[in-house]
Amino acid sequence: MKNYILLLLLLLLFIPFLTFSQNIAGTVFGNDENGKQPLPGVNVVWEGTNDGTASSPDGSFKIKQKTGQHMLVFSFVGYESQVLHVHDSDPVEVVLKPNLELEEVTVVKKNRGTYLSTINPIQTENIGGAELHKAACCNLAESFETNPSVDVSYSDAITGAKQIKLLGLDGTYSLLQVENMPNLRGLATTFGLTYIPGPWLESIQVSKGAASVLNGYDAIAGQINAELKKPDSSEKLFLNLYRNNDGRVEFNGNANIKVKGDTLTSGIFVHGHDLSKKNDNNNDGFLDEPLSRMFQIGNRWKYNNHKGYMAQAGFNILTEDRLGGQVNADRNMVSSPTNPYGVSIKNDRIDAFFKTGYVWPDTRTALAFLSNFSRHETESFYGLTDYNANESRLYASAVLTRDLNRAATHTLNSGASFIFDDFNEILYNQDIQRTEKVPGVFTEYTFKPNSNLTFMTGVRVDFHDEFGTFVTPRMHFRYRMGQHFTLRTSAGKGYRTANVLSENTFMLANSRPLKWDKNVMQEEAWNYGIALIQNYTLLGRDLTLNAEFFRTDFQSQLIVDRETSADYILLTALDGKSYANSLQFDLRWEPTERLDLLLAYRVNDIKQTIGGELKDKPLTNDYKGLINLNYTTNLKKWMFDYTVQFNGGGRIPIVASDASVAVADQKFSPYTVMNAQITKYFRLWNIYAGVENLSDFKQTNPIAGADDPFGPEFNATNVWGPVMGRKIYVGLRFNLNYD
Amino acid sequence: MMKKLIYLLMVAMFIGAATTDIFAQKKEDKVVCFKSNMDCADCEKTIYDYLKFEKGVKDLKVDHASNTILVKYKDGKNTDEKLAEAVNKKGYEAEKISHEEYKKIMAEISENGHEHQHEQHKERE
Repeated sequence: MKNYILLLLLLLLFIPFLTFSQNIAGTVFGNDENGKQPLPGVNVVWEGTNDGTASSPDGSFKIKQKTGQHMLVFSFVGYESQVLHVHDSDPVEVVLKPNLELEEVTVVKKNRGTYLSTINPIQTENIGGAELHKAACCNLAESFETNPSVDVSYSDAITGAKQIKLLGLDGTYSLLQVENMPNLRGLATTFGLTYIPGPWLESIQVSKGAASVLNGYDAIAGQINAELKKPDSSEKLFLNLYRNNDGRVEFNGNANIKVKGDTLTSGIFVHGHDLSKKNDNNNDGFLDEPLSRMFQIGNRWKYNNHKGYMAQAGFNILTEDRLGGQVNADRNMVSSPTNPYGVSIKNDRIDAFFKTGYVWPDTRTALAFLSNFSRHETESFYGLTDYNANESRLYASAVLTRDLNRAATHTLNSGASFIFDDFNEILYNQDIQRTEKVPGVFTEYTFKPNSNLTFMTGVRVDFHDEFGTFVTPRMHFRYRMGQHFTLRTSAGKGYRTANVLSENTFMLANSRPLKWDKNVMQEEAWNYGIALIQNYTLLGRDLTLNAEFFRTDFQSQLIVDRETSADYILLTALDGKSYANSLQFDLRWEPTERLDLLLAYRVNDIKQTIGGELKDKPLTNDYKGLINLNYTTNLKKWMFDYTVQFNGGGRIPIVASDASVAVADQKFSPYTVMNAQITKYFRLWNIYAGVENLSDFKQTNPIAGADDPFGPEFNATNVWGPVMGRKIYVGLRFNLNYD
Repeated sequence: MMKKLIYLLMVAMFIGAATTDIFAQKKEDKVVCFKSNMDCADCEKTIYDYLKFEKGVKDLKVDHASNTILVKYKDGKNTDEKLAEAVNKKGYEAEKISHEEYKKIMAEISENGHEHQHEQHKERE
């Protein structure tokens, strides 16, 4: 029996012609003076598509879910519309509230930007199209500016690399996915977030804590999934132009072609941006942000026979280069102490994916195959140091989903995955090469006796060619108590392959050389989480309160030690304790019609053993507060947005053995950053204007030793706050839909 | 200086947006209702998105289940006929009905809905 299952799993890996389209079933209720009753005739539509149905006389409905469709919109005359994030194939239950202003002429059509799902067993925030409009520039990294859970910061003051933090932990501990497939890892870790243009995005899902084992062993702090626009959506043509006062110009465009009706569709994506104006507003002789150019083109295809079979494939080509450092640095200069200090980074990348799936007519069984491939080449220098690398990576996974009984109380997801990663790096004239091969098998069981309770547990076993065999267990539990409370808990193990050098290349913007004992190591951690969501009605409007606590305990970890030696920066394995506690509260409410309010506060307690001592992780804010206000006028002709981020203080790493600097830890103080934006909508196009960092707050002296960049004091990596000041931008979007 | 200017600008725009709304409501708005022939939620969206940017439109209700459209617009900026034409332009019928008729249709729909619910409720019990 055991062998039979194993054989089946292996077989799955090699049958590439399988899918992802499944049926979602559920019931819609209306909650009025007579209590909760089934509601017939409710429109149930996938957001942004034409795919829809209506509920039957008993309030039940069934709708086909295709890959990338997550948001179900429920609308009915006299009731407030509701949007639901569908994560799995479990039956959903939706309760619509009567729209009390039926007699008046009002239609509530405001899309919630971000909301917390109460259905998904994993604590998940969905960032939809409306929210993405709030952050007008420019890529995935910036899409989180209005999000309470994800922090975005600069890695250093020269390269323009941005990193995100989830639960206060570096972005590398979150599994980054594009269309449910791991992506932008390895060599793309440093700049990957800037590789997905914002206008290409359809939605983003941020889930915290241990993720499902289906997606791999590496989601330690959580998982971020970016969904790109779909070729079979109603969008025909989309164009976007953007310009800011620093001289950044950007163009984005995409078009969908219906090659054969709704059966075969194709989407074309283009992105280009240029910043050739030199900005040095803090007069330290260094560019505040690097000069940069990027060009990207992508094409994707989708085949859907609307009878259960679906296949998608596509590719994306990217080329970019950056030039940072001293103002008079040149792209073609020779690295020498007599020339200006420069940092030049060139990246070329090609990505391709193929996924397919099939749903059996009884809709109880589904088979999916997902795969992607990437080739990435980097050529760079940081002052006098060259770093060149290339990487080829392949990922493939096959999943069989089966409802064990007709009511789908018991569901089993099983499958196998394979990772191949070939890495070549040259640093300090040292050739570093490695190949990673990881086949793995996994299974996940979901128990859902009713719509209020979900229990999900999964385990995967991976056979790593270097780190051996390891087991990843994960567990999720969700329980909805009455109308107001939803409780979630999760626990799970996570592993990650740390690419010691490529993830820390920005540390090269520093006078001290890097020193490492291993060029690859495995990180290991447990994560536990508990979250409570409360839904109330306050003054007739929805109020959502969320409280959550997550703890991550590292058993092994890559530690960047910038404080033990004045001679080098040490990249070494953890020796001692390392943990992260994150406690967050947030409140979402609509104080008046069409005004959304979000208040959030999070406390980070992140400690690592560095140089034998348990300390606060350097350059990490000890708290974060967020206020976001969003107002749209009736019929959504204008949209106003205002965000304030309160960033807590933290520790600045100081070299203890350096006699010229005080030995005591240095702290940076809390600071506030504000953003505002206005959008005006017209029939076919909309224009927006906004300001980032309204109060013009800047870190003073982000680059230590800027007057002598080849000297021993030079360090551009102690960045804790904004390097760039106020930025004003304008943009234009043009949008043409299929009728 | 720059900072103050930006603040002022933002405040002005917020106030501007708020006052246009208030003034708009003070002036008499006209309401026109139509019976149409939409069949899908999609058609509803098409009409909604098109009509909302017609001149003077202040509020809008498009519903495919009852096949009705209600438009509230600023008197003098547009006419019932032109709005009907706009619906026709998107390929749908627009037969003018009175506000009372509209209300009656909507009331009937929610009545029927309730009947269904009651029946269903009994069956379930």
